[in-house]
Amino acid sequence: MSTRDDEYDYLFKVVLIGDSGVGKSNLLARFTRNEFNLESKSTIGVEFATRSIQVDGKTIKAQIWDTAGQERYRAITAAYYRGAVGALLVYDIAKHLTYENVERWLRELRDHADQNIVIMLVGNKSDLRHLRAVLTDEAKAFAEKNGLSFIETSALDSTNVDNAFQNILTEIYRIVSQKQIRDPPEGDTIRPQNVEPIDVKPTMNTDSVRKQCCQ
Amino acid sequence: MDGLHSFENDKSSFWKKNSKAVPGRPSPKKEVQRISRTKTVGPASYHEFQASISDAWAVEDDDFCLTSGVDSTKISKKVSQSAALNVLNVHRTFEAPVHHCENVNLSVQEKNVTHVKNKFPGRPRPLPSSTNTLDKNTESKLERFETLLANTPTIDELAQLSWSGVPQKVRPIIWRLLAGYLPINQERRQTILERKRQDYWNLVQQYYDTERDEASQDTYHQIHIDVPRMNPSVALFQQETVQKMFERILFIWAIRHPASGYVQGINDLVTPFFVVFLQEFIPNNEPFETFSLNTLHQDKLDIIEADSFWCLSKFLDAIQDNYVFAQLGIQQKVNQLKELIQRVDNNLHCHLMQHNIDYLQFSFRWLNNLLTRELPLRCTIRLWDTYLAEGDSFASFQLYVCAAFLLYWRDMLLLETDFQGLMLLLQNLPTQDWRSSNIDMVVAEAYRLKVMFADAPNHLQNNRNPR
Repeated sequence: MSTRDDEYDYLFKVVLIGDSGVGKSNLLARFTRNEFNLESKSTIGVEFATRSIQVDGKTIKAQIWDTAGQERYRAITAAYYRGAVGALLVYDIAKHLTYENVERWLRELRDHADQNIVIMLVGNKSDLRHLRAVLTDEAKAFAEKNGLSFIETSALDSTNVDNAFQNILTEIYRIVSQKQIRDPPEGDTIRPQNVEPIDVKPTMNTDSVRKQCCQ
Repeated sequence: MDGLHSFENDKSSFWKKNSKAVPGRPSPKKEVQRISRTKTVGPASYHEFQASISDAWAVEDDDFCLTSGVDSTKISKKVSQSAALNVLNVHRTFEAPVHHCENVNLSVQEKNVTHVKNKFPGRPRPLPSSTNTLDKNTESKLERFETLLANTPTIDELAQLSWSGVPQKVRPIIWRLLAGYLPINQERRQTILERKRQDYWNLVQQYYDTERDEASQDTYHQIHIDVPRMNPSVALFQQETVQKMFERILFIWAIRHPASGYVQGINDLVTPFFVVFLQEFIPNNEPFETFSLNTLHQDKLDIIEADSFWCLSKFLDAIQDNYVFAQLGIQQKVNQLKELIQRVDNNLHCHLMQHNIDYLQFSFRWLNNLLTRELPLRCTIRLWDTYLAEGDSFASFQLYVCAAFLLYWRDMLLLETDFQGLMLLLQNLPTQDWRSSNIDMVVAEAYRLKVMFADAPNHLQNNRNPR
């Protein structure tokens, strides 16, 4: 890309997960290109996009992997959790089943992602007020109980989309910048030339500190 | 990713014919039978290829080529390579259908290679848009198809002619024949068609119109989510009638293939069949994109739906392992693609590796959707002429098509200097303006790669940098 914005201080890999049809691809399109398609093609495997934001005067580049929601793709998509420092776990506020499946997705992350990954629960399609099937308070309580941050978004009318990404990236940045001061980084992974390797401190509890690379 | 490693060591099964039966894959025995039937081994297959890709000489002229000794002598890889280069080059530069075999004289291949600017002449380049020539070619090709169809042809004859593209007018019948859905025997055709179509509607009645259990309800739900968003920009696919037809086709297919079930992406594979069979009934070459199905009689809709179903079923039989648990067929092909590119174009391979590009990240979709997401529909349809002509071996040929497709973009890819640029390009390759001529070049290159590498496990193995 000729318009590459390769000047950045931090590069964070974030994955978008959740049931099929909850709007993952549209959240990504809204955040990275400010686009929305009422009917966008189903994601096959994984798709990639990127956007940079500013936090505390630092440029943070988010490398976002959008994954296919269908169960059959789990074996493939799980491979993409590796190296991710953040995950947006998306459900559809108008489809209760997609919320019920959040627990299964959390299990997926526990099994395949780094244990320190920062997870945000995202209730998408908040514009569908008249069809709401998942109460905000219920989801919020669930998020708190499981140590996740929580937000409701609408990729259609843009509500909170930037905030969702901004919040999770800021949270990761806070963890990383504290960690960086405490611990010199480990150089066991490949990273872009102009980025310091960084580690993520455990999000909630500190019972075990595992090294993690952000790429 | 860990699940993939086991496949990387499994190289032997790729380069050599696997004698073990793998569930869901075409049986090696069957493939061997097919090969022996079509004589597509070694130089002979190249001959057939030569004859099939070029409209420049008629079928009878093959005799002339045969006298050049290709069949009688054991051809070296070098010779076959450069000869293939010549043919491709000659084919590309042909402006008019001239009947000259001398242009591909195999004995002067060394000399001819010098006028090949690119060391990989099969690599497609933009073609001159001399539409007159194309029309003439299409016309003469149509005549050849019509002549062939008038006499009872063999599947091999049909496949040979179809490999390089089928004119739209005869495509519906040719696809039905190549898929093995329509019998070659003209007398049996009507009876078989009627019976198969009725079979389909019985299946619909049995499985679709009745109450569904939980598992099939999940399948239905997934299909129901995917169908409306298949081709959001094409009016045809927004019609409820069309969406219902797709839902039934996919649902019945999934029910009948429990090992894989419905996998996202298979919906895209119905589209070419559907459009080709629809075009048969669209009057006056109206564009299908805006055609309203409500103007068609129900009988015709039923034919389109049933025939799409059966041809899809036949087509997917060869690649069912792409869609079983963990999508093993695809994972294996991704690794084979990686290995192949490493051997064919190590510079490109190293470039991708250097920037941490994982082949799975871009080629998974290529393989899962047979490039339907990467190509305009007109090109997909052209590509499927070749796939259907390949018969069961299209499963392995598909790998070489992906390799040729990747190699087509090599120069652009080498200009990208970071992961992001590479990944964005690989996932959004600019094929919007592609025409069937681009596909002609890709499949020709794929064929060349297949001839050079499929049966030659050590070819270029010690020469990792052929440029």
